[in-house]
Amino acid sequence: MAARRVRVEVARKGAGLSSLEPIDKTPFRLAASPGFIWLTVVLVWLFSLLQWRTWQPAPDLLLLVIAYWCLNEPGRIGMVTAFCFGLLMDVHDGSLLGVHALTYTLVAYGTLVLSRRLQRFNSVVQCIHMLPVFVVAKSASRLIEGWLAGEWLGWGWLWSAILMALLWPLVDVLLQMPQRRHEEGDGGSV
Amino acid sequence: MQENGSLKLFKHGPTVEARLFALAFLALALLIVDARWSALEPVRQGISVLLYPFQRIMLAPRDGVERVKGWVDAANEMQIEKAALQRQRIELAQMATHAAQLAAENEQLRRLLNVPDIVTQPSIAVEVLFEPTSAFNHHLVFNKGSSSGIQPGMPVIDEGGVVGQIVRVTPFTAEAALITDDKLSIPVQILRNGLRLIAFGGGADGKMEVRYLTAGADIESGDELVTSGIGGLFPAGLPVAEVDSVHRDSATGFAMALASPLAHPERHRHFLVLQVDVEAARRNEEALNGQTGGRR
Repeated sequence: MAARRVRVEVARKGAGLSSLEPIDKTPFRLAASPGFIWLTVVLVWLFSLLQWRTWQPAPDLLLLVIAYWCLNEPGRIGMVTAFCFGLLMDVHDGSLLGVHALTYTLVAYGTLVLSRRLQRFNSVVQCIHMLPVFVVAKSASRLIEGWLAGEWLGWGWLWSAILMALLWPLVDVLLQMPQRRHEEGDGGSV
Repeated sequence: MQENGSLKLFKHGPTVEARLFALAFLALALLIVDARWSALEPVRQGISVLLYPFQRIMLAPRDGVERVKGWVDAANEMQIEKAALQRQRIELAQMATHAAQLAAENEQLRRLLNVPDIVTQPSIAVEVLFEPTSAFNHHLVFNKGSSSGIQPGMPVIDEGGVVGQIVRVTPFTAEAALITDDKLSIPVQILRNGLRLIAFGGGADGKMEVRYLTAGADIESGDELVTSGIGGLFPAGLPVAEVDSVHRDSATGFAMALASPLAHPERHRHFLVLQVDVEAARRNEEALNGQTGGRR
């Protein structure tokens, strides 16, 4: 009888402990190292100098990565960086100076304004929020470019915005990888 | 006041909105200035000189692969090329005798009419570096620039004929607008009857348009258009396009023709830039403008 009571006691204790588990199990996000941030941005920028972007619906990966860091590391990558990279892309593409700069600045602004809200959600909900940001930013520069060139070149860029939104969760997984590995290493000592 | 002596715990820059307005305004100003005037060319050139090493680094693997492929395929390619050249040689031999006859006759006629000789054009061979991504224009970027003597305005040709015109140069690269680009127009004439016209890029995809024809103009589908040499930038006699169709509008009294370019920039990587005297052409044009301006 005594042994049984002890066992019940232990079982009850176990139940008590499991009920003490934290409600929010999502891990804290560690800050990414500045070296990693700049490395990813510069690598994607270099990759954007290649020819795959001639396909009109191609997603603008550089813009995607810049937007991602604007959300997660607003202290390092902001609107000025976005503007400068936009200008570099303008010169590379031989388009009017300021087309990409305007798009990148608007996306960076949209991300910064929405950041408080976005940080509460996971990446799938974030990507639904980001789609209108991409569409509005791209349409603004497309409208002005179309006005200056005197012609409207159709809606092919919408696919680009949609693809960018779809790629957002993937970018989230890839760019969070180093920070996650760090957490796993820490897990043992807690 | 205590504020001056108090600790500054948070960094206060300009607000997000202020930065947005400043940067968006700057971008808009750049856009409008760049679309209307050429004042920003030095800025663009500076940035593109900075960009150039990175572009070359990124294109290096592609160039390397092409070079290795070239080495591996050398024997095969040589044989194909040799066969093509043999055939061409036989064809050209026939034409050469004919041409020699014509040249002698032409020289004699020129002497009779006191027309100066046609000078041969110095040229620079260039290679395509990349095709810039822009939905609004058809451009190509070449691997030589103002340091090799290329200037804006020079025509670009391949074996088929006129490919385009240089529109922008940096020290190491040159950007050419293709003849299908809507900002380009070329003075041409019909080879069959010498009718002088102007061919415009743009319009339908990959086509040229010949506009401002009177409804009765003698132009038919199948006519070959060659440069007329008027304007001084394009030397006379270069093939440009072949007329596909002619649309005559009886309501307005004007006709319009669609033509396909004879050059195929998408099939080649090497082109020739003709070093025409851009300055002389510009001076001529200014002199003409000055005359008409004076009359006003």
